[in-house]
Amino acid sequence: MVQTRSLIDEQGLRTDGRTTDELRNVKIQVGIVKNADGSAYIEFGKNRIIAAVYGPREVHPKHMAQPDRCVLRCRYHMSPFSTDTRKNPAPSRREVEISKVMREALEPAVMLEDYPRAAIDVFVEVLQADGGSRCAGITAASVALADAGINMRDIVSACAAGKVDGKIVLDINDVEDKEGSADMPLAYLPHLERVTLLQLDGILNQEEFNECLDKALQGCKMIYEIQRKALIQKYFGDEQELKEES
Amino acid sequence: MQEIKRKYVVPGDRIIEGNFRPLSNVTKSGNSIFATRIGIAEATRDGIKVIPLSGVYIPRVNDIVIGKIIDHSSLSWQVDISSCFSAHLPAQDVFGRDFSPARDDMNKQLAIGDLVTARIMAFDRTRDPMLTVQDKDLGRIPRGEFLKISATRVPRLIGKRGSMIQTIEQATQTRILIGQNGIVVVTGRNAEGTQLAIRAIRMVEEEAHTSNLTQRIKTLLNVPEPQSTETLPESAESEGQKLNSIPDTEEQVQEELGKGDIE
Repeated sequence: MVQTRSLIDEQGLRTDGRTTDELRNVKIQVGIVKNADGSAYIEFGKNRIIAAVYGPREVHPKHMAQPDRCVLRCRYHMSPFSTDTRKNPAPSRREVEISKVMREALEPAVMLEDYPRAAIDVFVEVLQADGGSRCAGITAASVALADAGINMRDIVSACAAGKVDGKIVLDINDVEDKEGSADMPLAYLPHLERVTLLQLDGILNQEEFNECLDKALQGCKMIYEIQRKALIQKYFGDEQELKEES
Repeated sequence: MQEIKRKYVVPGDRIIEGNFRPLSNVTKSGNSIFATRIGIAEATRDGIKVIPLSGVYIPRVNDIVIGKIIDHSSLSWQVDISSCFSAHLPAQDVFGRDFSPARDDMNKQLAIGDLVTARIMAFDRTRDPMLTVQDKDLGRIPRGEFLKISATRVPRLIGKRGSMIQTIEQATQTRILIGQNGIVVVTGRNAEGTQLAIRAIRMVEEEAHTSNLTQRIKTLLNVPEPQSTETLPESAESEGQKLNSIPDTEEQVQEELGKGDIE
């Protein structure tokens, strides 16, 4: 596909009408999978993703169990109907890799040593894919983990930034991912101020990298507010602050 | 210590800064205390804790739990206590010191599928929980309706000084056994009462975080006097000793059924 139009127009707006530091619409719902111990559904632009968490539960096969901590198992999967051409449901190289980086992004937040000899299973199912599904998946998975009542040091928020038409922009969508010049997904612990995932596909110089990192961090902080609101909404309804009962 | 009020927290939230003692579901980092679960943060005289609103049951020593016998080896029963660890109930605990696997038939005392009330005798990070029924009111549950609620809802179901559970029991003419692991067994004189009690318990589970719940439960159960539990008609006084301790509730059932099952 040959792209003739530019990805950023004269007014500085992107293909979907956003400014350079605007997120796509993000909506999170908590507790939508009744069978799971914790779950979340996220709409991140055109991404539609369900995350479900089971556990802590017994480890099968038994030999996988760790005597001093819990094992965190992640599965990222794209459903066959999530893309415009059918996606083979067998786990692809890409999905295996994303499962791994997702696990590594979540592990620092989960207090695994609190649940020795047990396992926590995280399932992330992409129903509709747009760019940045790994970030949306991590975001949803961490909300689902909190919903499951697993001890966590912090919530994990994830967001990407990248370079499009020579400009650093926040939250790369599918078109910008394919035709832009760099894509940098980032997962972040907002309270602890730690980065748990940093990938970069493309080339940035030092200056651009710093700008990109700052932008992605800002994005993560915005995502965190949405995650927090979704959790509070599920557990406490509309009242955001606790009113003292007499 | 009174400077912080109760507040809603999600994992990672800073609850308070300063020299306070971390209790449950919090972590201390530097000079601050952070929440590790979603719930309600609370300051007590002893320190800071978070009352969690979700999560599976993690065994603790001396908890009273209700479990289901799922298997037995020659020396112990395996009990499902709806946790990530399955518990063991040693045969000697039931048969006494002179238990012999060759002579005694374990199925005679506890068959697979039976429900037992038991106390967690020992549990640490390295071994599965060990149960005992060697206490008053522990042992096989002969009958009742079984239901599972989230373990985090158990304190709400019991209520302040047992108010919630007393209300349900009195209004529906049932006896309700609650394990700390979230397994509930309802025994009633008639099916309607039992069904009503189950509906009330389900309602408590779903609306546990809302305020004024006892009042709405009373409305559901048609409890006449919309007053506090202390002034409930008649039996409130005589059952005053029940409070919120679980064994006492069990005592009532066993008294009513007139038998201690494991002896």
